Amino acid sequence: MGTYILRRLLGMIPMLFAITVFVFLMMHAAPGNAIESMLNPRIKDMAALQAQLIHQNGLDKPLPVQYVDWLGNFIRGDWGYSFAQGVPVRQLVLPALGNTLILAALAEVFILLIGVPLGIWQARRPYSLFDTSTSIVNIILFSIPYYIIAIFLIYFLAIKLHVFPSQNAVGTGPQAGSIVDHLYHALLPALSIALASSAVYSRYTRGSMLDVSRRDFTRTARAKGLTEGVVFRKHVFRNGMIPIVTQLGFDIGSLAGGAVILEGLFAYQGMGYITLQAATQRDYNVIMATSLIIAIGVLLGNLIADILYAVVDPRIRYQ
Amino acid sequence: MSLNSVFADSIEKNSTRRRTKSPNRLAFERFMHNKLALISVIILLLITVMSIAAPLITHQSAWQTSLMQTDLPPSSTHLLGTDSEGIDLFARDLYGGRADLLIGFVDTIITMAIGIVLGGLAGYYSGWVDAVVMRICDFMFNFPFILLIIVIVAIFNVSNIWILILVMGFTSWPGITRLVRGLFLTIRESEYVLAAQISGASVWRIIFKHLLPNSLGPLVVNATLLMAGMIGAEAALAVVGFGVKPPSPSWGNILAGALNFLTLQTEPWVWVPPAALITLTILCINFIGDGLRDAFDPSFEK
Repeated sequence: MGTYILRRLLGMIPMLFAITVFVFLMMHAAPGNAIESMLNPRIKDMAALQAQLIHQNGLDKPLPVQYVDWLGNFIRGDWGYSFAQGVPVRQLVLPALGNTLILAALAEVFILLIGVPLGIWQARRPYSLFDTSTSIVNIILFSIPYYIIAIFLIYFLAIKLHVFPSQNAVGTGPQAGSIVDHLYHALLPALSIALASSAVYSRYTRGSMLDVSRRDFTRTARAKGLTEGVVFRKHVFRNGMIPIVTQLGFDIGSLAGGAVILEGLFAYQGMGYITLQAATQRDYNVIMATSLIIAIGVLLGNLIADILYAVVDPRIRYQ
Repeated sequence: MSLNSVFADSIEKNSTRRRTKSPNRLAFERFMHNKLALISVIILLLITVMSIAAPLITHQSAWQTSLMQTDLPPSSTHLLGTDSEGIDLFARDLYGGRADLLIGFVDTIITMAIGIVLGGLAGYYSGWVDAVVMRICDFMFNFPFILLIIVIVAIFNVSNIWILILVMGFTSWPGITRLVRGLFLTIRESEYVLAAQISGASVWRIIFKHLLPNSLGPLVVNATLLMAGMIGAEAALAVVGFGVKPPSPSWGNILAGALNFLTLQTEPWVWVPPAALITLTILCINFIGDGLRDAFDPSFEK
């Protein structure tokens, strides 16, 4: 197992290289440059000043050299300076990363608490009234885009009932910044993601459980006189959860990036929100840092998915 | 029934000029029996016709601002009231459908085309072509679709709807490419493909005449789901200001225009209709997709 993980980590290196090159080149393909957008075009000697600043920032070096410089700085933790916010990028990105991780973790918890049990209950009595009615609700929930669910949640829970905040990742007052405060602010966006996703998860779970409960080994377990509870716990549940666990791993990465719209909607200061902000202000250093981190997050998520797959399914042996 | 009688039966059918039905014909007939899918087709057609024929339905302009008539509640002249710039919202909801349906339709075609060509080559040749295409797909999967579009739109300052369509189309193909590759990899091994190869058919002939028609079912189903996804994605982008740019109306940017505390609280007629239209359209397309899935793959039925 250890060697497998090590090999997979080494195998990630070419992909990481491709990602950094892509992010770097994309920012360089952008029309205009950061210096130009910073300077007031009416100042005297604009061209000379611009040339001087470009030289000072190393923007006149050959591209590969610039790339190596940028990558070296990035690895050392110098992620550049946010021109629009006036702070180093790291100071902006690290708290945002924390906020996004809280949001993603909370969303996963909701998905596991809503989607999986629902799927299991549906699979226990397939085509019963409970199964069909919840399946219809699932199709509808799945078809309502998550941002529209979010708008309705804001409307009912934040605006009408004043139970939850509709804005920001942390509140004001003495409680601000505590873990409870963080969770309180992440609750509505997390619920908006989870409602739609849990519809998908319950569908997966139901299908997987039904599939396993029709297998020969389940029939054997019943035939040798095990109680329904034991059959379910030891045979159906363990095998039925294998695809779900893998899916969960894949979602870890995509949740981080997929929450862009919701973070924008809730003004929740996570990775997505600062990327949006940077995109409107064309703050290239921030965009480079966030898209790189999100891409690495997705890559790690996929790795975790593969490892989880090997952990829960003893039939899989990675050599 | 013995084999002989089946044979006799088919001869008899041929002699009475009753042709056996093709699988696609059978699928079509199964689809026509699915009430939910048919109702969805009708609603979707209705929405499409209403947005194309918008000038026939309302005389109000979807662009004309009027400072004297801002934030009006619904009335007989303005069926859904006006927005903060005095533009008639009913007209905007109608005309807005054009942008969303156009994006959904054109992007589905672009994405399917790229996916079929790339996935087709990868699935047919396998070997190094497959390896290259799949590595590119893996690479693209590392960047969440919505995020990639936002970054590209921001960097290149996209404000034209056609460029937005191109950006969306050229970033969303990896999923379909993977699907097509998987489908082709299995069909490739069948005897009729071998027969075609031996009789000297070209690669493209085999892909378009043999592999493609035989994987039509899953492709059509996924194309419908893709269309729903594209319409949803436009609205999502518009909600955060990166979709179709106002003053051109789209359901997404009407919704985006209503996202402030006051409008949400006091003027539901601004944001409920576009939200409902987006949801209804996506719901209909998903039901049609489900119907198509059942129609093409009868084993999927309960």
